[in-house]
Amino acid sequence: MKGFTGKILKIDLTTEKNSVKTIDEKYIRKYLGGQGFAVELVYHGVPKGTDALDPNNVLAMAAGVFDGYPVPTGGKTIFAGKGPATGTLCESVMGGSIGAELRHAGFDALEIMGRASEPAYIFIEDDKVEINDARDLWGKDTRQVPELLKKKHGWDVKVACIGMAGEKLSRIACIDCDDRQAGRGGLGAVMGSKNLKAIVVRGTHDLEPADPSGLLEIALRYQKIMEAAPSFVEDTKYGTGEFLGWVNKEKGVFPTRNWQESVFAEREKIDPYYWATRYVSKNKACFACTKPCGKLFEVKSGKFAGVAIDGIEYETLYSLGGACGNADVESVARANELCDLYGIDTISAGVTVGFAMELMQRGIISEKEVGFRLTFDNAPDAVPRMIEMMGSRNGFGDILADGVKAAAKKIGKGAERYAVHTKGMEPPAYDVRGMKGHGLAYMTSTRGACHLRAGFYAPELVGKFWRWQGIDRFSPEGKGAMVATMENFMCVYDSIGLCKFSRGFFLIEKLPEVIKAISGLTFSEEELLKIGERIHNMKGNFNAREGVTRKDWLLPPRIIQDPIPDGPSKGSHITEAEMNKMLDDYMVARSWNKDGVPSPEKLKELGIE
Amino acid sequence: MVKMLVPYPDRCTGCRFCEMACTIAHEGKINHADARLQVHRRNVKVDFPSVCTHCVSCGEDCCVLHCPVDAIKNIDGIVSVDEEECTACGTCVEVCPFGVMRMEEKAFKCDLCDGDPTCVKFCPMGAIKYEEPKPEQYDLVKKLLGEE
Repeated sequence: MKGFTGKILKIDLTTEKNSVKTIDEKYIRKYLGGQGFAVELVYHGVPKGTDALDPNNVLAMAAGVFDGYPVPTGGKTIFAGKGPATGTLCESVMGGSIGAELRHAGFDALEIMGRASEPAYIFIEDDKVEINDARDLWGKDTRQVPELLKKKHGWDVKVACIGMAGEKLSRIACIDCDDRQAGRGGLGAVMGSKNLKAIVVRGTHDLEPADPSGLLEIALRYQKIMEAAPSFVEDTKYGTGEFLGWVNKEKGVFPTRNWQESVFAEREKIDPYYWATRYVSKNKACFACTKPCGKLFEVKSGKFAGVAIDGIEYETLYSLGGACGNADVESVARANELCDLYGIDTISAGVTVGFAMELMQRGIISEKEVGFRLTFDNAPDAVPRMIEMMGSRNGFGDILADGVKAAAKKIGKGAERYAVHTKGMEPPAYDVRGMKGHGLAYMTSTRGACHLRAGFYAPELVGKFWRWQGIDRFSPEGKGAMVATMENFMCVYDSIGLCKFSRGFFLIEKLPEVIKAISGLTFSEEELLKIGERIHNMKGNFNAREGVTRKDWLLPPRIIQDPIPDGPSKGSHITEAEMNKMLDDYMVARSWNKDGVPSPEKLKELGIE
Repeated sequence: MVKMLVPYPDRCTGCRFCEMACTIAHEGKINHADARLQVHRRNVKVDFPSVCTHCVSCGEDCCVLHCPVDAIKNIDGIVSVDEEECTACGTCVEVCPFGVMRMEEKAFKCDLCDGDPTCVKFCPMGAIKYEEPKPEQYDLVKKLLGEE
């Protein structure tokens, strides 16, 4: 078996001991790589009832199958653990190069357990594994940390780290590498809870694909296909926010002012068609990406002069922009930079600020409590200011630092009515009142409201995907089975380590050729989908074991009770009956019981223990 | 005029695809440290490729000049290592101003892939071009390297 290293490194921070687990072809046929490996490590490694911030939680990091090999957009690293935001099995994907570096060091995955007695960082250099003192790194941000560590270990090491928010156990804290983040679900707090500031890797081993010349041919072929596609121009010129105008004007599903509206009237000021030519000086890419959607966005003058970020991505234009009523793109960029530096997820952070703004609008919280005017009309000043307070758990920021669900609980006074989340995670930039299958996907996503566990926004917005045609976004019909299938796909992509923006190029039937060139292993399309199904079932079964079942999946009141007030999707919402119908259909498609618990027969069929 | 690799730092996205393509084309395996060019992903603002300039811009820090056994030769503008003569002393690696001379059992370096450079083929952003040498672009890279 080529392509894989066949080894998983296990590090216990409590005992400062490490060990190596070898994996064989059987393991790969069962879990594939990337997310599959990471989920397996968490599923079997975390004892029942473990708190996400307990030393017994596992933080797994794994390289996708393609990671380390020249496959365009195939360089993803996957992190997983029990998620602090939701208490469910949470995986988060990043485009940083640490996974590939780990593979060069001789490992397909890393499992971190325990808790260091003092702030520490892990240094892996091929077979050498050290747990080093990180007291001087504590309190440093996500740009200072790699800079200091590269000064010490050389510019070629790869560094994944947390910022101050992860240290302070913010349940929306992320993990950063190469200015790319494993953003969602609060895994940065898992690192913080382990007193682990950074993971540093230098790998010097060769990676040998099974068919080098075949792989090079595949790489060039796909690169040409991508370059010829319209999305290449869109991504390289405007980034992921390219379709922001379309989502607003044509579809009317851009959640605005904490989901009180679904069209952002001032959108043109945050649209990349406005800012790309004014603020962007070059493209930035994830590791191994030849179709870069990242932008170096710089503010050269004015109040926010000096801001320099890899962004602004579509989701962040929503969360720190539209969701907060913030039409000042420089302020959005500054807030984005603060999220990156402190190490908090931009989606969760922005939605939480927008939520607090609505609370102030409704008089549930006061200017006195917060310390300043946290209002939609004061967004350009208020958003970056509150992000900084959240990142440092300062003042009212401490209340918001764990996301909307925790904040609503602390604030009380009916605040929960305005908290938009599922399972405790803040939703991304698609108003599911006007895309009902995607609403189902927010509920069934094992890590809470997410656009990437099923990627169902694309089929519903475009009306077709893969073998499906004529998909009606306003209808709940048939969505259960489609969402389940899409979830299985996405588990495969995250195990492969392929960017989901490339799923249209690499439809599931295209993957076996590439996997074979790397590993020599032959997989059929059916086998891959079975692996995807297995991974999703493991996550579902883990969550059920932790007591998170259907009752905890439900959509928040805003989606059920408040129809979209205006725009192309005016009047639409998901009724309680529609919600239940979609969930029932989904459970049938999954062979799960009505409460969302995988059936023993299904688990047996998939070989899950 | 002989064509050379020319780096354009402002177009480099830091994806490092060129490094992988370089070693897989030459050795059938991937090892970034063996790539005959290096991508530096320094921070959010700075990414750049460092390439071999085949004597165009090295000045006194030239592997050809410094090789104690004259194993490195510039023939018609292309610099190559004579493996028979190379003693693997490492001098060339030390002096190379672009940090792209490589050493395993013998020294090895960029051979421009016989006039069809793989790295150029795999850079869709045009951050490495195969064209008439541009000393000002090499100076730009030297300046960036000097900051490290």
